[in-house]
Amino acid sequence: MKKFLSLLMVVIMVISLVACNKAPETQSPSPSSPTTEEKEPVTIKFANYAILEAGYEAFWNSVKTGFEKKYDHITIEWVTAPYGEIVNQVVNMAGGGDKVDIMFGEIGWTPSLEDAGLIIPIDEVLTQEFLSDFYPSMLDAGKINGKPYALPMYASPYVLYYNKDLFTQAGLDPEKPPKTYDEMLEMAEKLSKLTTKDGNKVYAFGQTTASVPISGSSLTSMIYNFGGEVLNSEGKLNVDTKEFKDAMEMLKLLDDKGYNPQNAKLKDLRNLFALGQLAMYYDQSWGFNGVNSINPEAKNFTASAAPLAGGNGTGQSVIEAHTLVFMDNGEKQKEAVRLLVEYLVTPEVLNDYLADITPAYPARKSMKDIEAVVESSILKGAANSLEKTRPTTFIPAMNDLNLELTTLAQSITVGDKDIDSAIKDFKTAANALID
Amino acid sequence: MGNTASRKIRKSYFKRSTGDRLFSGILVLPAVVITVIFIIVPIIDSVIKSFLDFRVKNIISNQPGKWNNFENYIKLFQNEKLTGAIITTFSFVLFVVILQFVFGMLLALILNSKIKGARFLRSIMMTPWVVPTIISALIWMWMFQPQYGLMKYIVQLFTGGAVTDFAILNNPSTALLGIGIAALWKQVPLTTLLFLAGLQNVPDDMLEAATIDGANKVRQFFSIVLPYMKSVINVAMSMAIINNFKQFPLIWTMTGGGPDNATTTLAILSYREAFVSNNIGSGAAVTTVWMLLMVVVVFIYKKLMGETEVD
Repeated sequence: MKKFLSLLMVVIMVISLVACNKAPETQSPSPSSPTTEEKEPVTIKFANYAILEAGYEAFWNSVKTGFEKKYDHITIEWVTAPYGEIVNQVVNMAGGGDKVDIMFGEIGWTPSLEDAGLIIPIDEVLTQEFLSDFYPSMLDAGKINGKPYALPMYASPYVLYYNKDLFTQAGLDPEKPPKTYDEMLEMAEKLSKLTTKDGNKVYAFGQTTASVPISGSSLTSMIYNFGGEVLNSEGKLNVDTKEFKDAMEMLKLLDDKGYNPQNAKLKDLRNLFALGQLAMYYDQSWGFNGVNSINPEAKNFTASAAPLAGGNGTGQSVIEAHTLVFMDNGEKQKEAVRLLVEYLVTPEVLNDYLADITPAYPARKSMKDIEAVVESSILKGAANSLEKTRPTTFIPAMNDLNLELTTLAQSITVGDKDIDSAIKDFKTAANALID
Repeated sequence: MGNTASRKIRKSYFKRSTGDRLFSGILVLPAVVITVIFIIVPIIDSVIKSFLDFRVKNIISNQPGKWNNFENYIKLFQNEKLTGAIITTFSFVLFVVILQFVFGMLLALILNSKIKGARFLRSIMMTPWVVPTIISALIWMWMFQPQYGLMKYIVQLFTGGAVTDFAILNNPSTALLGIGIAALWKQVPLTTLLFLAGLQNVPDDMLEAATIDGANKVRQFFSIVLPYMKSVINVAMSMAIINNFKQFPLIWTMTGGGPDNATTTLAILSYREAFVSNNIGSGAAVTTVWMLLMVVVVFIYKKLMGETEVD
């Protein structure tokens, strides 16, 4: 009897428990109802090297805080690695089946990521209405086979930064920077005779040639200055031109005269410029952040000018941009990414960033007249140079091609090779990459 | 009674030697499994990939690579990249390993003598070895910096201002030397430590007998000290060869393989092919050649060391 009662009690308890569990389920809205769908938690994996860089971290964390406050069901999870490693990090994660949803980076990384089959066209995530506000030339810069793969947050040509104090010391007018390479050479002769207070040499003109892909991109821009190109619109090598050779001859001349710091990275040039040891140099507009972090007084002597025209060229430049690229992890993730991008690329979020951290030109037409650009003494001098930019044709081996371009520059400068043989060697190496 | 019976049965199944072998096998098994999974399988996988058109997209889309008729190897040899990288790698290894032996031995002999402060020197000597390789590379880059580096100042000072543009890493003919100096700074301490341990194993009575017999210090060094240290030298130099054959972070950080490819070793070439060009197959082809060369070099070295064995 006791056994029967115990069994009965157990059965009653089990039934009660099941009933208790079921009750709330019947009262809660069905999973398919719109209210629940909207509030369903989503985590966006955002690959961003800038989180690890002092000066940028505060901005990106404020983006995360502000966005998560506005959309409380979405959480941003940072995926970070140093600048030089972030692409490998994202690729390796994807190889292991863990794709990020969005990535911040350089426009030059786009072809590698597209070739890896990792990123999707941006119009699969963003609406046409939103995209129509972007300058077509900037969207074109991120196109591969006619499809836009990179959304520029902001952009810059290679602007010519110059030191107004050194110009004054050399007896030059600080308000009249050079417009052509010939004018620059005349000024460089005077500037190169200066020394710093502690007796160090002043370099007249800086063009990066170090063995890093970004230097190759900067060299491409210099070739554009002369009206030449590295790749034609079909992605084929086009270096057997007078314009290409003119650019290489100028590079050699700058080296022979000792105007250009040899084999320097952009960060080396920023360092020299900040310390008053470099009178002029080419950099992306946001390179000034590096200068400013070394010498906060630099804003008092820094001015910018449009890229120089050389030979038959008109001073065209490569367009550089900090971009966002997207991966496909399903519709729910894409929708959250769309909300994030529409929150991020707005005057409200970007104005202070562009004013205080990263001087650059907005990619959206509606942001053309934001305070950060209109009132920037740093950007003012090169304000119209965006109109002279031209997109680079992307090939999958873009980074390697840029490295080969730096090898060419090094072989005619520090390597003392004659220009024709160096170009011939470059063609052999580059054709192997393009084929 | 029952126990005796079971022991008899066990004896009939396992001989003592079989049991010992089985036990040894079980002990070795974890090491074998780990070696197979983490070394043998990846090597075989890498060799297979070197014959395929295998890119990053194959990994991401989970697609197998395609056989491409040795194209990875053909391309590498055709554009002379591989030949250049092999020559650079051998030059670097020879330079660093020979000087590492010389400086390591000199320092070990000095520290083994009864000089004042030897113990203190021994402790601070290990500092460069403790510093991570990338940090070492950054320190030496800073010192070699052509515009405001320490070396520029020192060279300017010692040449009375005759050389003002000392830039060792910018010149294709000296860049490898610059990296070699940084590699020596980093690696000599460990070699010294190993040699020091070897020196302390040289029996004093042998040296005393040699002194009584009239052998001078040089003769003692070559006839007694070196032969007694042979096993230590063998291990230290094998490690140095392998370490410098695969040297990557120091070179990548300091020069990235430039200027004008002057410091592009096999390690740099392999990385560039696999992770800059995203061509895993081509990177694997470089790695396969690199691995074979390293095996040959270590084999020859071992052979040479074995043949010169002294009783």
